[in-house]
Amino acid sequence: MITRAIALLALTAIALSLFAGSGTASAQGGSQKTSGTVVGVATDENGALTRLAIADSGGNIIEFSVEPSTEYGLETQAGDRWVSTQASGSVEVVSRLRDHQDRFAPVTVTSENGVALSVVERESGKLETNLGFLFAVFAITWAGFFAYIFFLSRKQRVLQREVALLRASIDSTNDD
Amino acid sequence: MSGIFRASNLLLIITTGLMALTLWMIFFWVPTESNQGNIQRILYIHVPVAWGSMLAIMFVAAASIIYLRTKNEVWDRIAVATAETGVVFGALMLITGMVWARPVWGVWWTGEAKLTTALILFFIYIAYLMFRAYFPPGAQRQRLAAIIGFIGAVDSPIIYYAANLWSQAHPPAVIGPSADGDSAFSSEFGMTLMVATLAFTMLFIYIAWERFAIRETEDALVEIKRTIGEPEPAH
Repeated sequence: MITRAIALLALTAIALSLFAGSGTASAQGGSQKTSGTVVGVATDENGALTRLAIADSGGNIIEFSVEPSTEYGLETQAGDRWVSTQASGSVEVVSRLRDHQDRFAPVTVTSENGVALSVVERESGKLETNLGFLFAVFAITWAGFFAYIFFLSRKQRVLQREVALLRASIDSTNDD
Repeated sequence: MSGIFRASNLLLIITTGLMALTLWMIFFWVPTESNQGNIQRILYIHVPVAWGSMLAIMFVAAASIIYLRTKNEVWDRIAVATAETGVVFGALMLITGMVWARPVWGVWWTGEAKLTTALILFFIYIAYLMFRAYFPPGAQRQRLAAIIGFIGAVDSPIIYYAANLWSQAHPPAVIGPSADGDSAFSSEFGMTLMVATLAFTMLFIYIAWERFAIRETEDALVEIKRTIGEPEPAH
């Protein structure tokens, strides 16, 4: 019974997750904004940032190179904002991005032709709706609860019928 | 019996009303969170079902221990009913958490403390029910089941405090004794979460109640079959 319920939940989750993917990049004035989590940071022999990779909510990994004018605006877990550019903070940004990677803290990269123009905390105004995921959670939750409650009520009916039949059978035996 | 079912229907009506209010608050009343956007609305489901799964194991442990002391079958039925309800809430806690994590963290799962201890709780439920299903009935089964339930109960506070003790990606507790009083979860956010938690607690009680009634009928069936000499069903 439990195995069936778990299997039903798992199958529903898998089926709905197929519909739950969503795109992340959006074009704006020639540049492109990508929001996601940092999954890779590459440095040169001096420890300065050369490339970074972002995974968006659709699971796509996008790589960006940087140039001296690339701007950074990253926050610590406590909310302190650090602002710099590649020209002046190319080493510091590496530890900041790795901290984001460890915390799964999302960032927004504005880029042009694969070159990052800015890397900032994820911009709230550029959030993806991710409605597919939201739908998946509510559908799975209610499907799960309704299926289980339906199963319980059916089982209760079957058991009560069996009890009634046996009691009737006992009563008729006693009458005889 | 009929009194129990009348009370159960009343509970269902209250739960349905609270659920409707919860859904209205989630989709029409509470503002969109500025960092995560609409995806944050998942937390109004995820947090209450997580609460339900932890509440269930507390009931399992308490009912099992009381049963061992009193030998009153009612407590054994409560333990089984809440364990099975806990499995449903635990499975939904894991699934809803994973679906939330995918767009926010970029991964379905990480091995951090909060998630791992929550998964352990789910396995404890499975172990408890499998153990009860396959171990021969008797005092030894009840004792060992109570120990499994007790281990699960010990895991619950670890889950609750995990995000605060081992600060990683999972957000820290937003309600309860370890919550930060100045957290963003105040006003509408906090109110929606509280109503959702109340609604899911009522749903938990309703489901456990229904499962308890089934267990009671199963026991009655066993008793009748014992009286007329038919083989007893295993449960």
